[in-house]
Amino acid sequence: MLSPLSQDKWSPRLATHLLNRAGFGGTPEERQALYELGRDQGIAAAVDSLVATTETWENHPWPDWALSETDPNGDLWGGQGNRRRSFASWYFTFLREGQPLAGKLTKFFVDHFAVDSATSNQYTRHMYFFRFWENLRKHAAGDVDQTGRYGSLKTLVNDVSWSEAMIRTLDLYQSTANNINENFGRELLELFTMGVDGGYTEDDVGAAAEAFTGRKLYNYQSPHPNAPVRNPSTFAPEGLPPASSYQNPNQQDTSPKSILGFDKTPQGNDIINGDDVMEVIFANIQCASHLCWKLWRYFVSPDPEEALLQELALRFRDTYDYEIRPLLRDIFLSEEFYDDSVVAKQIKDAADLQLAILSQVNAAVPLERSLEAINDQLGYNVHFPPNIAGWPEPEGDGNTWLAAGPMVFRMNMASIWSHKNGEFLSGGAILEIAQNPDLDWDAIAPVELRSAENFPLLIEKLNERFLPLIPLRKSQVRTLYDRYVHIAEKISEVEAIKEMIRLIMALPEYQMQ
Amino acid sequence: MNTNFSRRDFIKKSAWGAATTFTLPAFLQQTLFDLDARAQTLPPQGEEGPILLIMELGGGNDALNTVIPFSNSIYTGARPTLKLGEAEGVLPIGAGPNIQGGTEDLALHPNLTAFQGLWNSGDMAIVNGVGYPNPNLSHFTSFDFWHSAEPNSVAKSGWVGRYFDSQCNGCEATQAIELANRPTLALKSSAGLSPSVTFNNPEAFAWKDLTTPGREVPLEDLFRKLIGLDHPSDSGIDTSNESLAYVQRAAHNAMISTANVRQANLDGGDLLYQDWPTSRLARDLQLIAQLIKGNVQTSIFYAHQGGYDTHNNQILNNNPLTGRHFTLLRDLNGALGAFAEEMKLQGKWDRVLIMTFSEFGRKVIQNGSGGTDHGAAESMFMMGGQVKGGQFFGKYPDLSEQARVKRHSMDHNVDFRTVYRSVLENWMQVPASAMDDIFPLQPSPEEFQPIPFV
Repeated sequence: MLSPLSQDKWSPRLATHLLNRAGFGGTPEERQALYELGRDQGIAAAVDSLVATTETWENHPWPDWALSETDPNGDLWGGQGNRRRSFASWYFTFLREGQPLAGKLTKFFVDHFAVDSATSNQYTRHMYFFRFWENLRKHAAGDVDQTGRYGSLKTLVNDVSWSEAMIRTLDLYQSTANNINENFGRELLELFTMGVDGGYTEDDVGAAAEAFTGRKLYNYQSPHPNAPVRNPSTFAPEGLPPASSYQNPNQQDTSPKSILGFDKTPQGNDIINGDDVMEVIFANIQCASHLCWKLWRYFVSPDPEEALLQELALRFRDTYDYEIRPLLRDIFLSEEFYDDSVVAKQIKDAADLQLAILSQVNAAVPLERSLEAINDQLGYNVHFPPNIAGWPEPEGDGNTWLAAGPMVFRMNMASIWSHKNGEFLSGGAILEIAQNPDLDWDAIAPVELRSAENFPLLIEKLNERFLPLIPLRKSQVRTLYDRYVHIAEKISEVEAIKEMIRLIMALPEYQMQ
Repeated sequence: MNTNFSRRDFIKKSAWGAATTFTLPAFLQQTLFDLDARAQTLPPQGEEGPILLIMELGGGNDALNTVIPFSNSIYTGARPTLKLGEAEGVLPIGAGPNIQGGTEDLALHPNLTAFQGLWNSGDMAIVNGVGYPNPNLSHFTSFDFWHSAEPNSVAKSGWVGRYFDSQCNGCEATQAIELANRPTLALKSSAGLSPSVTFNNPEAFAWKDLTTPGREVPLEDLFRKLIGLDHPSDSGIDTSNESLAYVQRAAHNAMISTANVRQANLDGGDLLYQDWPTSRLARDLQLIAQLIKGNVQTSIFYAHQGGYDTHNNQILNNNPLTGRHFTLLRDLNGALGAFAEEMKLQGKWDRVLIMTFSEFGRKVIQNGSGGTDHGAAESMFMMGGQVKGGQFFGKYPDLSEQARVKRHSMDHNVDFRTVYRSVLENWMQVPASAMDDIFPLQPSPEEFQPIPFV
């Protein structure tokens, strides 16, 4: 179990699979390079090229308007729609351009720790969101500065419990010793750590809720004329940036608690506050097991075997102290990860789909309005997760990613890239899409392959780029051929190529990775 | 081309042998095995059978200013500027029972004139005091609870989705139609593909072809061939790859449902009612009315109206006959009123049940910004030709301070799951034995008895 894949099994197909799952796919050239690295220097070298902690995010700073943190209502803060679109564009751009695994993990966290922008007010929500995402992406990038500050799920959950965005989303700021709100305590156990039916009781939920009481948000003196003016709390430490979180000791329940059957932390202390509760939770193997289950579902397949989970959970808790990248390294090296039941068996979620298209055709993230319009249609507006448990998982059953409306859109959207056609989107997006730069058609379909006689070679080339894991079926090739010849004759070969791309990207097979 | 594959067609076809079914989408395929094996109450569709319109009011509708206890001194005292009374022209609808054992004089918001008409003609009932235990005051979470019908737990599937899981194996791909960008959790199946479609406008729910010369063969025909829907030898379903097969079936589903919607839209022709208002909601309900007129194979429609989160500007300039809530109820009244008239003209009013709900009501007291904050219990409207109209169900909550929950919110006395159950059992004709499947979490048996509003 979890033994490394033997070197002789390494193939271009498996390299493609690795790049799909540890990132968002790539061009045929990128995939070939990864394959050759694994072939010449060993699979571990290929895996390490993706798992290495190198991403500092220095090339992807916050937009200028968001940097004016000390004055969140200053001139640079435009309308809500502009801010929202700018944020989503920033997020997608660093997914597209950053280290693939850092992007892929950030997206995992965005789902695992879903926050809703509607829960905070217009003066703070974007600041909260940037800070929240910044923390997620730093943890996703791993222990870059080798201080152990970032890259562990245990530290991340603690950071999230102090994050303004989650404190608002789960009502934690309302929870005081005298007036407990259980929302955060429940989700801490149910969503973030132990899992549904993870062996905790309602009393455990209550104890967790009590431990996290008195976490408040420091309400800055807003310069905005219409903003409610509130006095800074006396408990906010000196020099705290505006709209930060802090502990109000007067509203904290400081009584000793019992949780998950323990009344002491593993270190032997009384269980008083949130930190203590987390020590107990993260010492519990169910926590490690649930988090491994969730990671496995995201990166590998929906139904990991129990024995495998146990093994992973022990490593995650005891060997890696919840550091994520070493665990992923084990996974990406393992035979199980490359099993036939895994390769090409995952449905792309909305971001996977778009980023796969962009990396395959080597294009930039669409302009802001079109990006938002596309995400709305696909059901991935990052400001509004469908519910507190995040977006649907990328596996099949009951999956709303593929409800009829979004499915129709997935099939239609190919022409955004093939024909710069956004007529089925809203007004602003149509104009933006028409401005997209032309794709490199010569790279996608070399001129010498464009005659009807060379169609089999052309299809091979297109398969390699767009459907490397599930090539077209004969019946599909036949249908495409008739269309290709017809359009080439009536319009042009380039138009016929575009038609092929549009039809291939619309296929159900294209939705898989 | 099988552009309009009805259940009847399917049953006819299946009699010819199992070979045909190989090319069918999952929800039809399953039928072959399930129709005979399981006793189901397949919801009727198209030209016959009940239709349910779920009308979601997003943001938390202020029930107290919708079904108004206008002469209650606690109400008038708690809402010095927001209160609505006879001077503002509230529309009295008589006395309803309250939880204290007495009655409450109730009136509708002055803008709900069409509602009052339906009440007077016996076509509208009101369920007061609806909510759930330990109410959650987050929009987000409370909507999850209403959609999943599993309050105080993490939502995994929707109540309508589970209704289909239990009763609708073999239903049309368009069994439910929702007008929205993203499917509501309420429609989500607990396993497999929900036979429902969600789209924002029919324009987007269609194949987007290019119109240059050389493209005489429509995109739709090409798609059908490529995904194996019309292909003589290629079923398009790869049974060796379960998740791929799921997507392939989803594509088939999309293909069939777009065709169904387009056909019904064509068949529907012009609407009969002439005075439809122009609000966004009216536009959505017009589309639904059009599809109903075209006998679309659909039993559940789902429409949304947002904006009820009236923390401020609920009224303007201290005039309770202005502001956001005033406008929202005007639009709601106009759109639902027109929809009811249209259904009557189509001769379908007896087949329709409209159910309104919001994720929560609002607090008894007004806040410092001329608005109201998130609360708990609410009132639901039930409308339709067969509704036991002009009647109150549930009890009006006690407004007094000691009876309030969650800081000044009204407490519930009817669990919303009971309302859902009543709709399924008394309107959609679902057997009581299916309720354990559809509602894994239930209130106590005595609180879970169907309410006879229809």
